[in-house]
Amino acid sequence: MIGRKELILFILKRIIFSFFVIIGTIIIIFFISHILSKNPAALWAGPKAKPSTIAYVINEYGLNKPIYIQLLNFFEGFFTGNFGIDPVTHQPIASEIFYYFPNTIELVITALIFIIIIGIGLGYISAVHFNSKVDDLIRLLYTTAWATPTFLASILAILIFTSYIPILPSGGMYSPGLTPPPRITGIFVIDSLLSGNLADFINGLDHLILPALTLAFLNFGIVTRISRSGILNVKWMPYVKNARAKGVDERRINRYHILRNGLIESNTVIAVMFGWLVTGTVVVEEIFSWPGIGKFAYNAITSDDYPALIYVVIVFTILVIIANLIADIMYAVLDPRIRLGRGIK
Amino acid sequence: MIEMTQSDNKKGAGRLFIVVIVIVVIIAAGFAAYALSHKTQTTVNKTSLVVEEGEFPDSLDPAVTFSTPGWEIMNQIYQGLVAPNGTSVTTFVGVLAYNWTISPNGMNYTFYLRHNVTFSNGDPFNAYDVWFSIYRSIIMDQSPEFILGQNLAAGNGINFNITANILNSINYTDPNSTDLYYMEYPNQSVQVVNPYEVIFHLGYGYNGYHPYNAFLMTLTTPLAAAVDPKVVEEHGGVVAGSTNSWMDTHAVGTGFYELGQVIQGQSITLVKNPNYWGNYVPKDELNYAIQPAILNTITIEYKSLASRIADLKSGAAQIIEAPVQDYNTLKTIPNVNVSLLPIIFGSSQGAYFVYMDPVAFPAFNNTSVREAITYAINYAGIIKTVFDGYAVQWVGPIPPGFPYYNQSVGNLTPYSYNPELAAKYLAQAGYRAIFPNGTIVNRNHPFPNVNFLYTSDSTSETEAAQIIQSNLAAIGINITLTPLTFPAYEQVVFAPGNETTQYPMGINFYTEDFTASIDYVDAIADGYYIGTSAYFNDSVFNASVNASATFNQTAIIQNFSFITHTMYYQYAIDWLYTPYILSITASDVTGIIPNPAGSGAGYFMFYNTVHYT
Repeated sequence: MIGRKELILFILKRIIFSFFVIIGTIIIIFFISHILSKNPAALWAGPKAKPSTIAYVINEYGLNKPIYIQLLNFFEGFFTGNFGIDPVTHQPIASEIFYYFPNTIELVITALIFIIIIGIGLGYISAVHFNSKVDDLIRLLYTTAWATPTFLASILAILIFTSYIPILPSGGMYSPGLTPPPRITGIFVIDSLLSGNLADFINGLDHLILPALTLAFLNFGIVTRISRSGILNVKWMPYVKNARAKGVDERRINRYHILRNGLIESNTVIAVMFGWLVTGTVVVEEIFSWPGIGKFAYNAITSDDYPALIYVVIVFTILVIIANLIADIMYAVLDPRIRLGRGIK
Repeated sequence: MIEMTQSDNKKGAGRLFIVVIVIVVIIAAGFAAYALSHKTQTTVNKTSLVVEEGEFPDSLDPAVTFSTPGWEIMNQIYQGLVAPNGTSVTTFVGVLAYNWTISPNGMNYTFYLRHNVTFSNGDPFNAYDVWFSIYRSIIMDQSPEFILGQNLAAGNGINFNITANILNSINYTDPNSTDLYYMEYPNQSVQVVNPYEVIFHLGYGYNGYHPYNAFLMTLTTPLAAAVDPKVVEEHGGVVAGSTNSWMDTHAVGTGFYELGQVIQGQSITLVKNPNYWGNYVPKDELNYAIQPAILNTITIEYKSLASRIADLKSGAAQIIEAPVQDYNTLKTIPNVNVSLLPIIFGSSQGAYFVYMDPVAFPAFNNTSVREAITYAINYAGIIKTVFDGYAVQWVGPIPPGFPYYNQSVGNLTPYSYNPELAAKYLAQAGYRAIFPNGTIVNRNHPFPNVNFLYTSDSTSETEAAQIIQSNLAAIGINITLTPLTFPAYEQVVFAPGNETTQYPMGINFYTEDFTASIDYVDAIADGYYIGTSAYFNDSVFNASVNASATFNQTAIIQNFSFITHTMYYQYAIDWLYTPYILSITASDVTGIIPNPAGSGAGYFMFYNTVHYT
């Protein structure tokens, strides 16, 4: 049996490992950003940049200094939150990321809630109705959703819910003209609730539903699939049969023996999916005009705004690494057999 | 026992399924009820307008922004000395100036300023603010600075130079003698005569000592708009070669609207300026560019094309921006007016051509090769396939609809598609040529493969490039399509002296910086673009200088005509197409005065005249 001490040691090791992965990633991104062009200053300064602007970029990012000094400055800037000034928008990159990032978190968490409800719910129903028409229907649904291109699902959602059945706004985070709540968490609907502004909350929710549902529709399939197979695997396990033979109440069997064990993989997939969704919001945010980090990344890509793009990539990378870390830890906590790479005995 | 349990399981799951369905239906009904009530509450308010476009402004500083969305906002909040006269691109009306004179040699423009003009914060406006604003744009030296920098400079090159420190040190409300010395010094670009009179002396910019007949048009751009020195000084002042982050996100001007709410990346709301000076101008002295705004608020939302069209259909937006390829779809929407604007509007947004660079690819030194390529392209086919026919073929460098286009082109006809002739010229140049009847000549001398540049960000350029590739392959020329993202593409094609062997051929275009034919001629003919060496020489350069430096119409036409004909017979640029642009408004929106110099929805200047029927 593995003790709590061993679990803490495992988590610490994973955190240290993740930290070094982040450092390595930052170094790789730094060098990629410097080898994209013979003259990064000209590239970073943007099209039609004047010599004075290029000189400003060289000075701002120390591009005339030796590469190792630039790398050290880059690390210093990163760890002190000084990401430099965005040459396209002329605003501090850190404050831009700080503005856009919570908006994406709002979208992703809402989508994740939908994914959990729909994904696990349908997975459970599908497993219970294994090999029936209901099962076939659910499998058809999640396979179709999974195979649908993001842009197509987004455009169809807009077409259906804002044009044919005009019940939801076509884009944006809240209606212009609305007085936004004071920024507490940066997440609009939460800040609205915290400040007791119900009108803002409803308006924010109104704008949130469509992009979040679209994101959920595109991604619930993997959770349904994993939940279904997890439940099916557990359903025929000897300990479940044994529990039934002992006359344990069926609800108790479902809750404590089948669902708890059958959803271990789903839990870890959901954790990984969080990072996956954050990095995958680019198209959804662009089409729904959601002012999040994905839209910011899209704008940075289309305007070759390399300084902003570098930090967006770093943020995305860190999120994916953290999501994987959480998944690892959850897996270890939920299934002690997997811990420390010992495998199932 | 097990069978029974499975059945129980299924019943449980069935119940769960029904419960989920019921919950979903209740939630959907709730949202529908809310949305319907919400929709009723937001039925079109006749005092406000929602405009939807694609791109958020790059900056809200008139000295910095260099994009249509940015200029659109600037034109409502800030004002310059003059504006285009209604739909005209050659005559002007006074805005902050009520009158002006031009010296006989065309080198000095004297403006007489209106009294009682104020900024939206109540600060009074006068000639000192004009002096400050122009030098601020020049000294900040951001991308659009060249529009003024052609003719004006911060120094006179001899004994006088305005710096950021000088701009920041002057008291513009109550100037002392030193301040006045700087502002009233006669041998400089902008000279204050008195608080309501200012003279612009041309000849200090990079154009050299020449008049410039498009000078008034350059003054209609946001670069020349009046900013409040007091506001700038309170928020970081002027820094040479640098932007001001406060001015990038805030705006205080003299215009009929002021900046309301900005939701970064989503929308900008303009609200009627309650202190607008035009409210107190007698009606008979008003013109369209200074009349007070009719609508209380203008909300410009930046959305995807799908959202824009959906919102137009649902009535959530009254004006939208959409590409000409959607013309037929948009026409089917009820209660919406969709029209093709005259081609000058399309020209102001973009006129496209294929360039061939002899420096980068020696085979292009042979005029027969260039002629072969010129005749191999199916221009009408591209226009029909890519734009559903909603574009026109042109002969440059002046784009269709612009002043002097017809006179410069004269009896030249746009290049034609003639594969027989194309193959003949290719064979004449000594290369393997395939004739339409299948005959192949010079079989052992294939034309070397050449890279073809275009931007992958543009679907129309991508489609056009594919058609051109097919057209050229038909006569025996193989090109490799080498697309770049738009910013990377811009760095290749818009940089003077940037000839590169990697991209010796491709699609290029020009979009106006200010509405004047010389803007296109300078860019395309005068060596500011890639691949101009086939036709650029002293004669062409001198002709363009002469065309811009005279007010004599005959001389202007002669010079432009010379350039047009010279370029035409060199076949180094194959003039492709100019797409139309659309005006898309709800049918009850009226009062728009379209002008190709305008940035409002891409085709009009000011929202102050817009209202509902």
